[in-house]
Amino acid sequence: MNTVEQEAGKVARGLRRRDPSLIDHLIQQYQYRLFRYLLMVTGSREEAEDLFQETWIRVLEKGHQYNQRWKFETWLFTIARHLAIDFMRRRRPQSLDALLDPAGTTRPVELEDTTSSSAFDKAFQGEEAASVATALGHLPPSHREVLTLRFHEDMELEEIARVVDAPLSTVKSRLYRGLAMLREWLKDIYA
Amino acid sequence: MRDEIHERAIQLIDKGQVEGLTAEERNWLEAHLESCAQCQMRAHDTERAVRALRSAVLRFDLTLVLTTQMRARIRARELIEKEARMRALWISCTLSWVLGVVSAPLLWRGFEWIGYRLAMPKAVWITVFALLWMAPAVVVAAVIAWRQVRGSSVTAEQ
Repeated sequence: MNTVEQEAGKVARGLRRRDPSLIDHLIQQYQYRLFRYLLMVTGSREEAEDLFQETWIRVLEKGHQYNQRWKFETWLFTIARHLAIDFMRRRRPQSLDALLDPAGTTRPVELEDTTSSSAFDKAFQGEEAASVATALGHLPPSHREVLTLRFHEDMELEEIARVVDAPLSTVKSRLYRGLAMLREWLKDIYA
Repeated sequence: MRDEIHERAIQLIDKGQVEGLTAEERNWLEAHLESCAQCQMRAHDTERAVRALRSAVLRFDLTLVLTTQMRARIRARELIEKEARMRALWISCTLSWVLGVVSAPLLWRGFEWIGYRLAMPKAVWITVFALLWMAPAVVVAAVIAWRQVRGSSVTAEQ
């Protein structure tokens, strides 16, 4: 058994016991990454904050279902995603299509996206924060989602497919399209 | 230069970021980029997009972590207490069932005797026996159902 499996086994046992110190540690460890993922999916800081809390409560409640053969973050993002979908279904049904797009087809940027273009403005800091925020604001949530899983989380494509519950071909299609859109938006911004 | 060559270079530039390239593809692309300014620009734009995305740092409010940790601790305590209560309930159910099974022949004879002494029709004392014998299971089922209804309404309120 390698270190990753040992770690996953430790997490699985702790979750079954509902060990508060383990949960505290996991929240600390994954705080930034989970929040970034939720922000990318929802396009709203407030919603991401609500979902952040709900995700950890769900992790606690469903902890016994965690299978240590999976990486913990894959399971965590899957839970977060399901909650985000439920949340969107209640709040704004029209944006659900973007996240659940079963065919992996992309709608034209100007017709899609309920995310306000300023949603990311205050979310990022750093040299290129403003440009990235503007570009991300124009991408559909399903594309932002795979981009963050690939380029922020460095997940393998198979892992991404597991998290977003979509075929590998759909994941690739969204990644290529998302990357192309990001490149074009940034090119326009920098020009 | 032919369009198909540029097309292939463009595909490989994106593939390099998304899926990764084989050594052969990388060598071909590097050779092409050395002689094609247009594709070089494309590769530069793609790398810049990925770099910009990766370098964007999120503002994160640490009070969110503290609030979440507090909520999680409270919920963990609730769940542990609920599990302990449910465990006690199941142990009582099992004991009650075992006692019920063990005492059934004695109880049956007792009811038979009372029915005979009071000159009751057989159907009456058998019905009373069945009701009494099933009473613990009915009470437990009612408690579990009530708890589930209460639990789901509390969740809906939250």
